[in-house]
Parts: sequence; structure tokens; C-alpha cells
Amino acid sequence: MLGITIGIFAIISVFTITDSLEKKLRDSVRSLGDDVIYIQKWPWTFGPDYPWWKYIGRPVPNIGELNEVQKWCKKGEAFAFMVSANGTAKYKSNSVENSNLICISYEYDRIRSFVIDRGRYFTESESASGRPICIVGNTIAEGLFGEADPVGQEIKVRGSKLTVIGVLKREGESMLGNNVDTQILIPINFARNLIDMRNDRFEPMIMVKAKAGVSNEELIDELTGIMRGIRKLKPVADDSFALNQTSMISSQVNDLFDIVGIAGWVIGGFSILVGGFGIANIMFVSVKERTNLIGIQKSLGAKNYFVLLQFLAEAVMLSVIGGAIGLMLIYAGTFIVEATMEMEVGLTQSNIILGLTISALIGVVSGFVPAYTGSQLDPVEAIRTN
Amino acid sequence: MKRPVILTIICIVGILWSLANFIYVFSPFIKKISDWAPAIYGIIVALQFISFIGIWHMKRWGVTLCISTFFTKIIFSIFVNDVNYVGIALSATFMVFFLIFYRKMADEL
Repeated sequence: MLGITIGIFAIISVFTITDSLEKKLRDSVRSLGDDVIYIQKWPWTFGPDYPWWKYIGRPVPNIGELNEVQKWCKKGEAFAFMVSANGTAKYKSNSVENSNLICISYEYDRIRSFVIDRGRYFTESESASGRPICIVGNTIAEGLFGEADPVGQEIKVRGSKLTVIGVLKREGESMLGNNVDTQILIPINFARNLIDMRNDRFEPMIMVKAKAGVSNEELIDELTGIMRGIRKLKPVADDSFALNQTSMISSQVNDLFDIVGIAGWVIGGFSILVGGFGIANIMFVSVKERTNLIGIQKSLGAKNYFVLLQFLAEAVMLSVIGGAIGLMLIYAGTFIVEATMEMEVGLTQSNIILGLTISALIGVVSGFVPAYTGSQLDPVEAIRTN
Repeated sequence: MKRPVILTIICIVGILWSLANFIYVFSPFIKKISDWAPAIYGIIVALQFISFIGIWHMKRWGVTLCISTFFTKIIFSIFVNDVNYVGIALSATFMVFFLIFYRKMADEL
């Protein structure tokens, strides 16, 4: 039974962790927008023959190109420009280091999903005129203001004063590293005073969200044509830009999940195999010890199938109890993981059903041979056995 | 009736193949198909294993169960778009041998 417990624990715990991580990744991808194309200098994924020398000389996207893309693109619903940098935010004697300064154009909120807990988003005129205002993430707000309301207060970032007009709702850690809780959103037209937007280090990018019913591939095709026209690239020349989408990241992470899943399957599978042999062994002993009883049962009229089901039920019960113990250990483990690693891990209904089903089937498979052997015993010979 | 050698060989191959398939039941690949796929596939494999035990003891119910699980597995493979023609051909060959010796097998459980 211990083998079954360990096997079920190994397999279902791996499934639970990978399911939870996959869900977290899907939520992160959804928040970034799985229908958004990012026009950048560097591609997100690299093959084995990555020609970095081709990309290093590429120009970075700029706001002029955003305006052109917005003018010519028919398949895009929303267009935004974004530059990111790090900085220390200060308020009186409090400071939060390594805040993410996200310098954005007006339509950013139509592309990146986030919720403003207190205050409001920029207006179009505020964004266009480059007013010194900002929206802070929850962690920044707590670090600078504690329990006080940050809206209307003035903070200092990279030597400039910014008025807080909104606070973002807490989202928690993101698998893709875009944690809004540590972000400060600033209008791009004000951010020109803080950072050099032509510098590759700040990763300037144009974001385009596809219209409903338009696939990413269609949008990529259109954007490729538009960008090549904007940059006046010759037909034989390579693209001087990269068009990235979040599916590139999620597919790479999914490969990692598959490897973890296979590892858990192999470890758990061998353990279950050992457990199955153990149950078979126990059932053979059980049949041997109760041979006399089987003979008496048969002589009183018990059919072969009755004896078979009797021992099969015992084997299944042993397995299911072992599997249930393994599942309970996993359930207890999820609380420990959530408390220590601040990660949401849940034992899903499908994994519970899977665990119990596997346990029952192992009981059937490993208990069938001894049960069948017992059912085939001759009643006279069986009664004679001591 | 004494078990023919060919049936002994087929049963050994079949039992080992069923045990190998059983490990595959709870692999991430089957789980990706649907939440219920491992359970359904596991039941099919378990019944297949039991059918080979029955054939080992020269029982007709073993052959009946083996043929039933053969067709059930084909239907399952079609539903999940994973039809293995080599496996089907091999299983069909086994069925032929089982049916050859079917009349000589015992009827009772």
C-alpha cells in the first residue's frame, strides 16, 4: 500500500504543480494580451544559429512609427507605445527602489489589462500634453504611503516630481515578470524628460492589439508590410524589426512543463509498479492463508465469480486507501506550499478523480491474478488444506 | 485442454504490453487529451490485461473480452486522433489465433 501511496503522491503532486503553473502562465499571458503584437528591435525567441550581429544594428521603434502604424493599419484595434526603465520612487522619507517606470501612450489601457483600484487613468489631453502625473502599483503605494491614500500626493522619480492620480489593484507575481504591483505608469510625452527613448537599453516597443476576428498571423502580415514601408526597406532586405507575440513565451514554458510532467510520471510510474507488485504479493498470501475458507464457501454453494469478486474487492480497497492517503498528503502539501512560497496551488477535481481511478485500476490489475487463482480452487482440495 | 505454445507466447507478449500501456495511462500525454481520458484508457488497458489472463487459462470469456477491448480501443483511438495501424494489425493477428482455438476453450468462469 505504501508503494501506491508514494506513486500516487509523486504523480498527482507533479500534475497539481504543473496545472497550477500552467494556469498562472495562462493568466499572465492573458493579461499581456494573447492577441497583441509587439514591434521591437529584438526577437523574444532565439534558435541555435541566432544571428545576433544582424539584430544589433537595427533601429528601435519610435513614436513617429507608432503614428504611422496607427494611420495605415486596418486590422489593429488599439495602438500604444511603451518604454520601460528602472528607478527609485521617493516620498518624503520613504523610498522604493527598483520600481519599474513604464512610460506609455494613451491607448495602453486598451491593450494591457489592469484594474485601477483608486483614482483614475490618464485623460487623452493629459497624455498628449505630457503632464507630470503617474499611476502607481500597489506595492509602490504601500511602500511610500503605508495606509494613507496616495491619490493627489506628489512623489519624486529620477529627480522629477509626479502627482499620483491612481493606484493599480494588486495582481501578485506574474510568471512573465511583468508585475504591475511594482510599476509606475507615466505618460510617454513627460517621460521624454526622464529617459532617452532612442536608447535600446529601455526597450522601446510599439504594441498593436488585433481587432476581433483577426488572427495574429493576419495582423503580423499587415504590420510587416507597414513597417517595411515606414523604414523604406528594399524588397530583398531583411526586416529591421521583430514582431513578437506572447505565444512564443508560453510555448517555451510549456516545453518545460512537459519535461517536469514526464519526470514526475517516470518516478511515480515506477513507484506505482512496485506498489502493484506488492499488492499482488499480499493477495497471493491472502488467498493461500484462506484456502480452507474458500473451500468451505464453495462447498456451501459460492460461485467462482463470488470468490473472485471477494478478493478483487479487497485488492481494490487496499489500493484506493493507499491512493486516498497519497491525495490527502498532497492536499496538506498545497497548504504548506501556499504559505511558504506565496504561490496558488490547488488540487483540482480532475486530479483527485485521476488519482483515485489509477489506484482502483492498479488494485484490479494487481489483484486479479491471485483472485482468479483463488476462484479456480477445487473445493475438496481447498477444504483439506490446513 | 493444454494451452498451445503460440497462445502462451501471445499471452506473455500481451500481458507485458498491457503492463507497459498501463504505465502510459497516467502520462502527461494522455492527460492532455481530456480529464477523463486517463480513466477511460486505464479501464480499457485493465480489461485487456484481464482478458489475457483469461486466455492464459483457456477460457472463452477471455477471448470475448479481448475482442471487446480491441474494438473499444480502436473507437477511443479514433476519438483522440491517435490511430496506430501497426498496433491494430498486430492485435487483429492475435484475435485470429484466439478464434482458431476458441472451440477448444472452456466455457465457464
